[in-house]
Amino acid sequence: MATATRNKKSARRRQLEAAINYPIDWLEERSGLVGAVRYFLFRKVPGDTGWWHTLGSATLTAFLVQAVTGVILAMYYKPDPQNAYQSIQHITNDLTLGWLVRGMHKWGASVFIILMFFHMARVFLFGAYKYPRELNWIIGVTLLAVGMLEGFTGYLLPWDQTAYWATVVGINLNGTAPFLGPFLADFLRGGAEIGNETLSRFYSLHMLLIPGLIFALIGLHLYLVIRLGVSSPPWSREAAGSDYGADEPGINGRSGLTQPVARSGWRRNGGDDA
Amino acid sequence: MATTEEWRRQYAKYKEDVKKRGKSFYPYAMFEDTVMSLVVVSVIIGLAAVWYFTSGADPKTCGSGDSCLLGPRYSDPADPATTNFVPRPDWYFYFLFYLLRIFKWPDSVILGTVGIPTILLIIAFLIPFIDRRMERRLTRRPVAVIGAILVVLSMGVLTYKGATAKEALASEVVQAVPTWAQRQGFANNAEAIAGAKIFASSGCTACHTYLGTGSSNQGAPDLSAEGTKGRNKQFFMQYIRDPSKFGNNVMPKFGFNDQQLSQLAAFLLASKGPK
Repeated sequence: MATATRNKKSARRRQLEAAINYPIDWLEERSGLVGAVRYFLFRKVPGDTGWWHTLGSATLTAFLVQAVTGVILAMYYKPDPQNAYQSIQHITNDLTLGWLVRGMHKWGASVFIILMFFHMARVFLFGAYKYPRELNWIIGVTLLAVGMLEGFTGYLLPWDQTAYWATVVGINLNGTAPFLGPFLADFLRGGAEIGNETLSRFYSLHMLLIPGLIFALIGLHLYLVIRLGVSSPPWSREAAGSDYGADEPGINGRSGLTQPVARSGWRRNGGDDA
Repeated sequence: MATTEEWRRQYAKYKEDVKKRGKSFYPYAMFEDTVMSLVVVSVIIGLAAVWYFTSGADPKTCGSGDSCLLGPRYSDPADPATTNFVPRPDWYFYFLFYLLRIFKWPDSVILGTVGIPTILLIIAFLIPFIDRRMERRLTRRPVAVIGAILVVLSMGVLTYKGATAKEALASEVVQAVPTWAQRQGFANNAEAIAGAKIFASSGCTACHTYLGTGSSNQGAPDLSAEGTKGRNKQFFMQYIRDPSKFGNNVMPKFGFNDQQLSQLAAFLLASKGPK
């Protein structure tokens, strides 16, 4: 009797599993995406990575906040000089939680920039830009520059005095560059003066071109992180890829997370020539 | 400097080590990433809330009724014609903004606007190719550590200086007009005095200095003795109307009318240097 119930149950269970697995297998067979996600989630990272290594994903989160709030703002914002200022007032003061969306976008921009600098500082101090990760450092620096451009183009959109005059000066400074400067300034202004054309241009750059570029660069950045692996903190006794600690393989049956990281100071193997 | 072979060997060992004693990204590293991301989102929401609830809906009430901890919700609507507004970029451009006070217009302004940022960017790009040692511990990388400290310090100081750079308020500058007239000897020249008032109230002193008033924000020249350079009124009017026609791409075009231009020109012409 008991056996029969168990069999019956497991038969139902098998059916259920098959029902769940079918779409997953279907997707995997046709795209390989399930394998990719599985690889991403269950790839190995050095056992000694810690909170310092979260600055990159924190930056990504700040950017995603910008993307989401930006999409919502774009639904209500009117990119022409006659309506831009009023639409910003409307978003901030009238719309339900409009203040939150605009406030998050406004302050999220600063948080994004700060986190990019922190992340960069972490990578620099860890020496994580060294072989084979040079290319990813270059992509990161490009992201920083492009991110600041995103800040510059977004600053004009509220179309208030702060925005307008900061942009007047900013564009004129661009104009001082040799050779390309005046063309760049003319292109950004969309004419001789800052007005309709400028606002549309900045809106388009801020909404389409630059975020698209940032998304693409982040994709490349992450691809290289996953392909090349995360580097260990340089001071770690367990640092993957370093010679020290090799004699006493940290292999006491514990997983990386429960490994006692700093057991006896710096290094005891005298591998100073590492 | 390590050879390519050494690098490859080290990286192969890295991969082997990670495979042997690494931890799975999910859930270990991902847990920390998630916590950090939640902190980031909370901070952003917190900033937005503090900004909104300490500022009034009317930009002008900022400072009187509200504490405005994080600034107003917006300033007055953009107005190309009124120029008594001091241009300020967003905070992360303050260091650039302050560089422009160090490099004066027009001779070396290019260093501040384009030269130094470009050089910094190129150095940043080249870091992996400049530092080719295998060493990663900070105690063994004195140049990198000192470089990092210097960069952080100088960026910090420039940002701070840019943030606290004093800009004279238009209302304060206007008070100085009678003194200017007296010192420059144009007290009897009504047109020049009218021009001086426009000059003082339109924010010209945000970039130009005049008899010690104002700040050389963008490195713009001192105008105290502008009338001694042998230029005529017509020249000044045309120059102010569109500075870019004279090769000056830094000074914006302001929306002055002909009468204002004429008054400003009379003022500049009467500025013969302090007596």
